[in-house]
Amino acid sequence: MREADIIVVGGGPAGVSAAIEAAKSGLSVMLCEQRPALGGAIHRQPAEGATPVAVLPSLRGRWQALSAELSASGVDVRTRRAFVGVDSTGAVLIEDRAAGKVEVRRPRALILSCGAVERVRPRRGWHLPGVAAAGGLQVMLKEGRVPGGRILLAGSGPLLLALAAQMTAAGNPPVAVIEEGDPASRPLAGVRLLAHPSILPDMAALMMPVLFRRVVWRRGTRLTEITQSGDMLTACLIAPNGREERIEVDRIGLHDGLRPNDFGLPANDAAAGLVILRAGDVREVLGAHAAEADGAEAGREAAARLAGCPPRSGANGIRRLRSLQTSLSRLFAPVHGAPILDDCPGDTVICRCENRTISHLKAQLSGPDTVSARELRLNGRFGMGACQGRFCSEWTLSLMSELRPTASPSSIAEMGACRWPLRPVALSSLAKGGTNADTLTEPHMEEISA
Amino acid sequence: MTAVRTFFWRGSEVPFRAGESIAAALAGSNIHGFGKDPAGSPTRYFCGIGACQSCLVRVDGRATEACLEPVYDGMVVMALEDDDA
Repeated sequence: MREADIIVVGGGPAGVSAAIEAAKSGLSVMLCEQRPALGGAIHRQPAEGATPVAVLPSLRGRWQALSAELSASGVDVRTRRAFVGVDSTGAVLIEDRAAGKVEVRRPRALILSCGAVERVRPRRGWHLPGVAAAGGLQVMLKEGRVPGGRILLAGSGPLLLALAAQMTAAGNPPVAVIEEGDPASRPLAGVRLLAHPSILPDMAALMMPVLFRRVVWRRGTRLTEITQSGDMLTACLIAPNGREERIEVDRIGLHDGLRPNDFGLPANDAAAGLVILRAGDVREVLGAHAAEADGAEAGREAAARLAGCPPRSGANGIRRLRSLQTSLSRLFAPVHGAPILDDCPGDTVICRCENRTISHLKAQLSGPDTVSARELRLNGRFGMGACQGRFCSEWTLSLMSELRPTASPSSIAEMGACRWPLRPVALSSLAKGGTNADTLTEPHMEEISA
Repeated sequence: MTAVRTFFWRGSEVPFRAGESIAAALAGSNIHGFGKDPAGSPTRYFCGIGACQSCLVRVDGRATEACLEPVYDGMVVMALEDDDA
């Protein structure tokens, strides 16, 4: 057996669709997924004996269709394989999580389709056990574990309503959905959605529990603080009229939108001799339908590039879905303007991995010298922990801008974490690296230890 | 009827369904705090997609994400702060 021509990273709609399309050209394709099963977050499959959750109308049957096409495609599917990075020689490093070792592979093309990651704005107490990302609660619900007890969902965006609808269908509606925006007060943005009739059945499914008063949707309201009292969590809410209210619940799901899960990824075509492309939400967060189309496009482009064609421009058929996302963001825009991090108490944790707070960040910036974003990471340890900045970089930089309004804002790349490994890997996995029983690839230990 | 499958969380038997993650099985038994990490902060489920590293637990002496790792019959799972069983 020889090395696959194309490796696709990520088994969601973009990756599966890219793999199917690339395989049509006759090239050999390997699809790597970090979890034990394909599907991605959107199509997470239930455990044995668990009841499947209600799927949005427009997505019904999509996963079944993709899975069937994938089975017939001849794509080599590898589960429990986590992408570790591309080294300076263009070798693709993949951790076999079951065997506990890093495989060194040398494909001719690499398609990265590792989806989106949730944005969760720091609030005091957001690091407590029982507080999860709303999407985290949603994937667990899809696995078959309905969040039990009194659940509060807070933040902003349609995902909160989708989760509320799925929880209601599963028998435990949330206590309330706390929404910072007020879509009802933006009729113009609402009317723009009518230009996308295909999503109207989805919107109706999302709104049903609210319309039938099974779920309270409190708009223009902000969750500012979470405290723990015994086994319970208390959330502090600020209503549009400024009135403060406390509500006691078992668990809280937070969500402030999605962003590409592109931390530390190599740029397109960053390594000599290796075509690198991105597909789906990791390129631009436009949702499952766009991801499928974008994945297919990337699969075709990878095949064309390996046949000697020059890179194509980014013009593809997802412009309509981009305008839909723009309309949705306008609809859910916060009513009181963007929240100010500097208003949070000093002990609010920004970096969850290393417990670095707003006070720590302010102390770091208070010296006589101008501190760069990179120094904030290296000396202040913001973005330095195990998640490698995935959940704090954005907020570290926005707080930095709030505190130094005259300085030009820094980008996440300037914090300087764009190199492999992209995720924590056990030293024993690296030590066993390089020997792939299934290919004739020579071991490349010298690169691993370099 | 299938026999109840179980694994061990910090020495206690916890039931699970085939194909689910350690985190999902623990949530099914209402376990949301996974002990302390080396910095002394609580370890817990958060992102669900292997990105945040908040849910690290120990299996066979190795730290692993509870939200990614599939659970199996008789599996021994410890908190990061525990001595290995």
